[in-house]
Amino acid sequence: MSWVTAVWSMNAAACLTLAGFYFAVWCKQRQRPMYLLFSCSAIAAAAISAFELWMLNSRTVDEYESLIRWIHVPTWVLTLSFVAFVRLYLHAGRVWLAWSIYGLRTLVLILNFIFPVSINFTAITDIRQFSWGGQMVSVPVGASNPWGLLSTISLFLLLIFSVDAAIAVWRRGDRRRAVLVGGSMIFGAILAWHVPLVIWGVIDVPFFLGFTYTAIVAAMGYELSNDLARAAVLVRELEISEKRLNLAANSANVGMWEWDIARDEIWITDKGRAMFGFNSSEKLDFDRFRSRVHPEDRALVLQAVENSLQTGAEYRSEYRVLLPDGQVRWIDGRGHVEFDGAGQPARMRGASLDITRRKQAELEAARQRNEMAHLSRVTTVGELSGSLAHELNRPLGAILSNAQAAQRMLANGGVDVAEFREILSDIISENKHAAEVIRRLRLWLQKGEVQQQPLPINKVVRDVLKLIRTDLISQNVSVDTELARNLPTVTGDPVQLQQVLVNLVVNACDAMTDCGARERRLRIRTGLANGSDAVIVSVTDRGGGIQENEMEQIFEPFFTTKAKGMGLGLSVCRSIITAHHGKLWATNNADRGATFHFTLPIAVSDKGAVPDQKLLSGIR
Amino acid sequence: MTNPLDPMVFVVDDYAPGRKSISRLLHAAGFVVAAFASAQEFLAQYDPAACGCLVLDLAMPDVSGLELQSILADKGSFLPIVFLTAHGDVSTSVQAMKHGAVDFLTKPVNDEDLLSAVRVAIEKDRVLRREQTELFEIRARLATLTPREREVLEYVVAGRLNKQIASDLGTVEQTVKVHRAHVMQKMKVQSVAELVRLTQRCGIGESVQ
Repeated sequence: MSWVTAVWSMNAAACLTLAGFYFAVWCKQRQRPMYLLFSCSAIAAAAISAFELWMLNSRTVDEYESLIRWIHVPTWVLTLSFVAFVRLYLHAGRVWLAWSIYGLRTLVLILNFIFPVSINFTAITDIRQFSWGGQMVSVPVGASNPWGLLSTISLFLLLIFSVDAAIAVWRRGDRRRAVLVGGSMIFGAILAWHVPLVIWGVIDVPFFLGFTYTAIVAAMGYELSNDLARAAVLVRELEISEKRLNLAANSANVGMWEWDIARDEIWITDKGRAMFGFNSSEKLDFDRFRSRVHPEDRALVLQAVENSLQTGAEYRSEYRVLLPDGQVRWIDGRGHVEFDGAGQPARMRGASLDITRRKQAELEAARQRNEMAHLSRVTTVGELSGSLAHELNRPLGAILSNAQAAQRMLANGGVDVAEFREILSDIISENKHAAEVIRRLRLWLQKGEVQQQPLPINKVVRDVLKLIRTDLISQNVSVDTELARNLPTVTGDPVQLQQVLVNLVVNACDAMTDCGARERRLRIRTGLANGSDAVIVSVTDRGGGIQENEMEQIFEPFFTTKAKGMGLGLSVCRSIITAHHGKLWATNNADRGATFHFTLPIAVSDKGAVPDQKLLSGIR
Repeated sequence: MTNPLDPMVFVVDDYAPGRKSISRLLHAAGFVVAAFASAQEFLAQYDPAACGCLVLDLAMPDVSGLELQSILADKGSFLPIVFLTAHGDVSTSVQAMKHGAVDFLTKPVNDEDLLSAVRVAIEKDRVLRREQTELFEIRARLATLTPREREVLEYVVAGRLNKQIASDLGTVEQTVKVHRAHVMQKMKVQSVAELVRLTQRCGIGESVQ
């Protein structure tokens, strides 16, 4: 076998190999059509080389005629796939030029099969053979077809298209690609001019168009291989970054997970497994996960997951897990849902953060705050003992007197049934009254679970005024109330909020002990705060006011201006209001005295937002 | 109902069930009772001539029990007061007693305690009123004496003999005797001892020593 046959065959084989390789790549990445386009170009280039080899060894005119006619099919395929490749892969080249090339090339193909011989020849008269590189090669001799000019024009358009695309890519800044694709194309287009020269008998060389196409295919292939190489680098970088992420996640106590919803399979990092107390080989599904969630928090977690699955919103939930050994951990879980093409939730990915320590600190802080609040309430009861005795002794007195009056009536003999009925009903109602006072006192002194309930703030004000009515009377303080109607409710613990108000009112009374009897007026106002997302309560006295430099100090623990005070009241009040997401501050009035204000956010039920259920979840 | 001769018990308490039960008890014990919800209400209807006593709640809004006590004192009323309170401290009770309160009772109050306090108060009122009447009578008798007779009276209750009085006044013993007889007759007394007792109640006698 001569070297000519060997070289042409190797060229074809190389093209076919590339074609096969990229076809395989395309099969795995169907969404990237450039691999398929490249594959088509390479097959076409291989076919062109094969045709050329056949033509070199052709001995008869008939054989040559049919070969020169059929070689236009791979040429058409290659031109079309190349143009498409430039458009799709480089995003360059003018669309109208692309369509002109498509049209012209297709017209050439059609005419090629309409003409008796081909678009190149009207007739092939003979086969000219000459020795080239030590081998006899054949070239045709005959009359060239003037329509062959169309083929030349299409080649010319292709050149313009390529140069234009190369310039566009160059301008975009991607110079390497511009040079590679543009250069290979220009190179190919120039070399292609040997075809007419051979046909016209100007030069004696065999057709080697296959090689010029191979150059173009090689340039395309080089570009694509860059992509593949980059992908390989990305995979490696991804691995490194995943390792880094794992390292970061592990040291930050984060467990990462993915839940395949259709198969109900959960993948989770080892750290995550340890967090939930799963061993490393155990297969996990949603039910296994659910079984670890603390029974009291299950509904909450389920609701959060369902909400995410339905609305696609970010999943977020703070919950406890109960490990098999009875240990409890706090987890902050976050994630998001991915949907499939049909809009069904396909998987959920996320991370779980171990927040046990933070939570314990929070709970401890809440516990201490509530201890403090309780202590302060107990102290207040001492201060209010007059009021309490009064509240209790009044109904007890009425009961005793009513009962003894009845005894006397019996002893007197004249029993008036109507009067007796009235006495009994009075006794009952007073008894209930006394029981209510005791219930309130017990509530006040209780050290129970802090409640979170919707409260009308005006009711809190009225309850407090009932509670300390006698103290106000005995201190000769009169109270003006301006309670706004139709206020939205707030969320909070009724006892703690009463405590804040009692403290503020008692302080206000103490501030006015040096005032004349007619000056001892206290005003309690409720209303909507500026911006209307909170309710504001203010307690105004007509005492001596607060020194400007002590305006903040008064809220510090153990700061007091009273002879008998412990200096805890206001600091406890502030911590209670802060825990209720509100603010407590003081101002001096323009004329005399001071005003204490506090705000409380409007209850979620009145606003429609998500409640912070874990707030104040400590022990009172 | 307001016969000034029958003793009345006035009850003033802002706490309606308390007011009602106390009134009931007093009524069952045979007293005539008038109840009021506030000091102002009571003052608006109070007739100083009415006899009896006042059962008064200490802690009331606007005008407290102690304030009503001082208002009544300013008006010259000596209506005896029994204070009732659901919670009283020592200083308040001392203040109330200093100003003449009959008793200071804490709710819940036992019926016997309340009734005996009320009885004591009514008795005190009766005594006070009788004394008041007697005082008026003595003052009326004193008013009938001539200036000379008044002078002689003061010497007599000071324990001077007729002779001494005559020399002090620069007159004769016989004249003093006549004046003295007139004094005894006008003051409606039989003995000097009796005269001394009457005049002492009016504050006469201490000035001449």
